[in-house]
Amino acid sequence: MERQIINKKKRVFSVEPNKIPPSEVFTRKYTSLLVPALKKLNMNKNSSQVNQLTVKHEVDMALALSAQEFAWSRFLLQKLSSSNNPTTTTSSSSSGIRIQERSGKEGGHEDGEIEEKLRELQKLLPGGEEMNVEEMLGEIGNYIKCLELQTIALKSIVQDTT
Amino acid sequence: MLEGLVSPESLSLSYADMSVPERLKWLQQHQQQEVLSLSSNDSPDLLQILQFHGSNNDELLQSTFSHFQMVGSGFGTNYNMGFGHSHEAMDGYISRTSSCQIHSPDTMGVMLKNSEENRAISLKNKRKSEVKTREEEKTEKKIKVEAETESNISNKEASSDTSKETSKGASQIQKLDYIHVRARRGEATDRHSLAERARREKISKKMKYLQDLVPGCNTVTGKAGVLDEIINYVQSLQRQVEFLSMKLAVINPELELGVEDLSVKQFQAYFTNFPVVIASKPSVMVDVPLFPLDQQGSLNLSVSNPNQTSIDAPSESWETQSQSLFASVLR
Repeated sequence: MERQIINKKKRVFSVEPNKIPPSEVFTRKYTSLLVPALKKLNMNKNSSQVNQLTVKHEVDMALALSAQEFAWSRFLLQKLSSSNNPTTTTSSSSSGIRIQERSGKEGGHEDGEIEEKLRELQKLLPGGEEMNVEEMLGEIGNYIKCLELQTIALKSIVQDTT
Repeated sequence: MLEGLVSPESLSLSYADMSVPERLKWLQQHQQQEVLSLSSNDSPDLLQILQFHGSNNDELLQSTFSHFQMVGSGFGTNYNMGFGHSHEAMDGYISRTSSCQIHSPDTMGVMLKNSEENRAISLKNKRKSEVKTREEEKTEKKIKVEAETESNISNKEASSDTSKETSKGASQIQKLDYIHVRARRGEATDRHSLAERARREKISKKMKYLQDLVPGCNTVTGKAGVLDEIINYVQSLQRQVEFLSMKLAVINPELELGVEDLSVKQFQAYFTNFPVVIASKPSVMVDVPLFPLDQQGSLNLSVSNPNQTSIDAPSESWETQSQSLFASVLR
């Protein structure tokens, strides 16, 4: 009995597994992954300034590792591990161009537009192009959530140091 | 057997019992009616024809419509062809009907044997009960190339069950006719259209969920607009992450974090402020002192935000949504 009480006290989250707020789980995982990684980066590259790409790499890696229950995280990990030079999940300039292209071609068939947009959405999601539309739409939902949480975590980290 | 009868009362015969020439005549008559009625685009024509058909003999009507569930596709194609090429349709239809009739007894067996039996049964139930939702569905979802004629037919549908059944078959077959003109057997079509409809429903459900997820999507109607919003939102989120990581790279040498001290409450407070932050530009976002993280315990929301009161409701829903999202995903 006492052990149970002690164990319960030690638990951070509620007893029932259903009630663990996954957003908090993700955020905790993320920060606990990212911050040590950044510190490591600092220690390794003492002299030179930390390369922005490597930071981005670490950021993406932390994102992928803290969201491993989702399909897109696997693809993201693949992308990250396959290249030494860290690949960015998006490049804002090219996506901006893509938007303009899309809006310029709006004279097309209505259903073709929707398909185009779905394809573009697929490009945004890591691994989206290898999924079918249904799956992709579901994954986009939790990808958005994770991105939001990631933004929050990054902001808090940045805030903390400034 | 009624096969020997060659009479103007062939209309009252059950569909399956008619021999080919009778069926031909029957179809001719119906087609003419349909061509006229459909081209006029007036009242519920299906209803008229079916009522006409049904008024002759109720018993036969029952049996006929039991066949319609299998062969409704045939009738539907009749409609579709009636729009344009009546002669070709006639010839094609005859061959199809003959094949349809052969397959109809198999259909039941096949459908029952199939593991999708429940779907078949549910389809029948759906046809009778959920037609209205399906009508709405038809007008909403247009991912697949669905001809305008389908929506026309759906608009013409009367409130009677019979017309709905056949028109449902008609619209299903019409959609398939748009893609495959020839491959139309009653049972196969139903299954395919069943699967397609289930798929479309799934997709629309997900779209609706995404619509709730992405802020500002509620005002936009139509899939294209929602998709637009989603795309922009994802891109803006990714850009933010990039920007923040850039910032992080700049300030990284000074990193002194006590991450373990970040309490859950603080993150929750972030959550409430989040929608506002997303809406503003990144530069403004970072400069706004959301709250000092080094303060433990006490939560100092030193934000002067005009929109703060308005975002509380959506932020709460966002939180619960995130929980439900993860819960559903983790199941």
